[in-house]
Amino acid sequence: MNTPRVLPRVIARPMRPRVPPIVSTAFKHVVLIVVGLFVAYPFYFMISTSLKEFFEATVTPPTLFPTSLHFENYAEAWSRQPWGRYFANTTFIASMTVFGEIVIAILAAYAFAQMNFRGKNVLFALFLATYMMPGEATLIPNFVMMSKAPPGVNPFFPIPRLNLYDTYAAQILPFLASAFSVFLLRQQFLAIPRELRDAAVIDGAGHLRFLWSVVLPISVPALVTVAILSFYGSWNSFQWPFIVTSSDAVRPVQVGLNAFRAEAGSLYHLLMAAAAFVVAPIVLLYLIGQRFLVQGVARTGIRG
Amino acid sequence: MSGGAIAITERAASRRRRGLIENAQAYLFLLPAIAFLALFKILPAFYAVYISLFRWDIVQGAFRGLDNYFDILWQNATRSQQFWQSLSTTVTYALITVPIEIALALVVAYVLFQKLRGRDIYRTIYYLPYVTSTVAAATVFSWVFHPQYGLVNTVLGAIGISGLTWYQEPDGVFQMMGNAFGLAVPDWAAGPSLALVGVAIFSIWHFLGFQILIFLGGLGNIPVEYYEAAKLDGANQWQLFRRITLPLLSPQIFFVFTIASIGVLRAFNEIFILTNGGPLDTTRTVTLLLFRTFFQQGQIGLGSAMGVLLTLMILGFTLIQFRVFERRVTYT
Amino acid sequence: MTRMRIPALLTTLALLLGACAGAGPAATSAPSTEADIEITGPVSLTLWHALTSDPQKKALEDAVKKFNETNGKGITITPVVQGNYTQLYQKTLGAIQAGSLPEIVHAYESQVADYQKAAVVINLEPYMNSTKNGLDKASQEDIYKPYFDTNRFPQYGNELLSFPFTKSLFVMYTNEDVLTSSGVTSTPKTWAEFEQAVMKTTQKDASGKTTRYGWAQPLDASNFNAQVMSMGGNIMSADNKTVAWDGKEGLAVLQMYDRLWKGGYGYTPTGFDWQNDFAASKLAFTMGSTSSRPFIAGAMKTPVKWNVGVPPQTDPAKPRTVMYGANVAVLKSTPQKQLASWLFVKWFSDTQQTADWGTKSYYMPVRKAAANDEALKSYWSSKDQQGKQAFDVIGSSIPEPNVRGQQEIRDVIFDMLTKVTTGKATPEAAIKDAGQKANDILKANQ
Repeated sequence: MNTPRVLPRVIARPMRPRVPPIVSTAFKHVVLIVVGLFVAYPFYFMISTSLKEFFEATVTPPTLFPTSLHFENYAEAWSRQPWGRYFANTTFIASMTVFGEIVIAILAAYAFAQMNFRGKNVLFALFLATYMMPGEATLIPNFVMMSKAPPGVNPFFPIPRLNLYDTYAAQILPFLASAFSVFLLRQQFLAIPRELRDAAVIDGAGHLRFLWSVVLPISVPALVTVAILSFYGSWNSFQWPFIVTSSDAVRPVQVGLNAFRAEAGSLYHLLMAAAAFVVAPIVLLYLIGQRFLVQGVARTGIRG
Repeated sequence: MSGGAIAITERAASRRRRGLIENAQAYLFLLPAIAFLALFKILPAFYAVYISLFRWDIVQGAFRGLDNYFDILWQNATRSQQFWQSLSTTVTYALITVPIEIALALVVAYVLFQKLRGRDIYRTIYYLPYVTSTVAAATVFSWVFHPQYGLVNTVLGAIGISGLTWYQEPDGVFQMMGNAFGLAVPDWAAGPSLALVGVAIFSIWHFLGFQILIFLGGLGNIPVEYYEAAKLDGANQWQLFRRITLPLLSPQIFFVFTIASIGVLRAFNEIFILTNGGPLDTTRTVTLLLFRTFFQQGQIGLGSAMGVLLTLMILGFTLIQFRVFERRVTYT
Repeated sequence: MTRMRIPALLTTLALLLGACAGAGPAATSAPSTEADIEITGPVSLTLWHALTSDPQKKALEDAVKKFNETNGKGITITPVVQGNYTQLYQKTLGAIQAGSLPEIVHAYESQVADYQKAAVVINLEPYMNSTKNGLDKASQEDIYKPYFDTNRFPQYGNELLSFPFTKSLFVMYTNEDVLTSSGVTSTPKTWAEFEQAVMKTTQKDASGKTTRYGWAQPLDASNFNAQVMSMGGNIMSADNKTVAWDGKEGLAVLQMYDRLWKGGYGYTPTGFDWQNDFAASKLAFTMGSTSSRPFIAGAMKTPVKWNVGVPPQTDPAKPRTVMYGANVAVLKSTPQKQLASWLFVKWFSDTQQTADWGTKSYYMPVRKAAANDEALKSYWSSKDQQGKQAFDVIGSSIPEPNVRGQQEIRDVIFDMLTKVTTGKATPEAAIKDAGQKANDILKANQ
């Protein structure tokens, strides 16, 4: 009720000093719907194309609604590549990344928030520094690190060669330590009242027990936010897995979709069906965990 | 007296012992994070510099000092031309993306902030692109913008604009407009290629929801009293927006500005899918050039040097952004 | 961190062991013995290829399956698609750096030339000439000579670094229905006839907008090279040190693009979408690889009369066609795996197999004797008459350059074609600039 009814002149015609409320509301809806159409129509076009027959998909001008529905396109697209394997790979990689990232971040965030130790500020500054380091800086060296040392090259120095090219590990390990998650959780852990810790100390509880039985239970929303953001980042990542995988056994779903672009060629109806089932799980997750995701993004925004 | 001294020393000793244990525990807690950060974030930064000092053409070759940097910046005619062109493409891309993104998000957030029927539905739709993978979304976009079968050209055809080839069109948009009216536009004023504009449209589409979100948060922080006081003073709607909303939203605008700029500097997936740097290199941003040098031509040394240069640029932006961000967080 | 080092440690150990076992340079310099060994145990190989779509993808998978089941030596090959040729090339470069290569890779000649910069490609000559595991003299002569020429690399001592695999030819596709309805009575033989036919088959509406194009041409370096040759030009100078496509024939090709694109008679299609237009009789001509045949057939809603033939020639009496398609290279691994790889490559070129391949994949058989294969003969006469026509000109086809740097030059040619067809540069300026760039690339790759 108290929300200010302020409409910028960019939208309202400048010659009208006061817009009658009813027009203004309708006008707002018009703005929102136009933007909504802009945002939503690619999704609609994807779904509608995916249900068309080949000859209808490649007709000029395109039909808005399929004249007959061809759900078998999904089965056809699915059968053309080992999608089941890709989805399993992505699920495994994303779950491992989320799990590892959370555990590591909880421990580090707790140390920064609740413990006193020498060099805390210096270390925290170091974490800050890695937070600012963009992925582009480490793309090539990390690739070289994942490689096998060529004959005659020292596998430890100057660059350690982990020989992890085309493995799950190569897609998980580099993302386990995320300064971002540490910050987010530290922020949360800092807000825990001092009295709780004091009471736990009187009870004789050590850090681990305090962390496990007090801190974590009251931090669930923050943990879920970190988990969802991490999962989302892992599920959607493309460039690194594209570079570092070469077999179907470990290839994730985004890389599979890129490969399918070449396979599908002009079969756009199949390509759109594939895009639809690649997008579906993450959209579902979004609809379920919207609150957490939105919170996480609002707090930070660096992801993605 | 001596007993008291002993008690004090004992207490001090036990405190020191406890301090030591606490220190050890803290480092144990931090160990995994530090280890992984060191191996995959900190050390690689040094490796990147190391690699960039070599001729590294599929296999590591001779040490060449800073020659890779010199080649990129001026020494090698083709390489330096490509680098500066990619930098200018990146800046152009940012210039057409960031302001529109911010303006559009601001307007939508502003409208969305008010009490309105169906607000949650709008919001859910607006955030949707942001969670969709760039690979899938860009695949769909190249279909939506298909010159022959796409929806966009059909709609444009209805208003008399036809035959746009979007992601294959190297011509500048101003040049195309000029041609449409029979004007010869000089090369320097040709403007960004239609392909780059198409990529920008994708970016705006993809990041709009995120920015709306940030602005909504900012709008929520503005005290209502400010508006009421201003209204009593006879301010009109536009003045309220100009004098109150905009200034009080400036931290968010600045935040979004830096985030969006970094996003543009780092953009890869969508350009890779939509145009792969073409047509005629008009969408080859620095990231795409780096990728091509490294992955398509096997020039690891040169690619690494580009990576170091790009990192310095991104770091500059991030530093600014981080300052603002930290301040905002400490307030709340 | 310590955990991370374990694989690296293992690598070192493995390397040390390898060195002790005497796998030094001395061992590799005596390949004749390596080619004469025997397969002693089960061998698993990976084959990376770029056949992304059926029917080719399926044909290859079936062939590999057949080999796995029938080789009798315990050799198992796993085919893996790595995307289109460009992506496969990138992947292979990446894998070379990562030290994690497949044993067999599908590649164009110029890509093999790049891989060999890292000395990872096996010379197949000793394997082919091995009395025990090789090809006999008759078989060697049965395989078309241009196929050997293209796989011997002058920059690497004329070593045979790859072997013919998915061979095709540059041809012109003609939609006969469109020709007939436009009053064009015969398939154009010369470039002048072709240009006239393109104009005649183009339809425009009242506003001057083209509704049916005469010519759709995907912009591609190979297509350009082929057109230059059929105009009587050459791709490379005799010493392979400079390009020759920037001469008057190349210019003539560009000028033709320029005229037809500006006039609204020709256009640049998106990807393979011209196949749809062609199948829907919204297009008269296109030129490209023979391997598009099945896709055109698949895109046809109603039957259309169409044809595949030799592209227009400046001198129809002496037609010049470019050999298209890729080869297969064996990469450094172990003597056992290398031999097993060769055995697969050899098996793939057997008369029976290559004829079978010709009927299923729409690629060309690599042997002359395949023409006598009954199954192939009946397939040609009943289903794919153009296949036989194409097969007959293999002997006179000319391969594209197999020099280092050609991959980058392909990008230069692509940019040149884009500039001309979008009117960003005159043919004269574009070809001059591109020729200069290409020669610089060749120089840097000497």
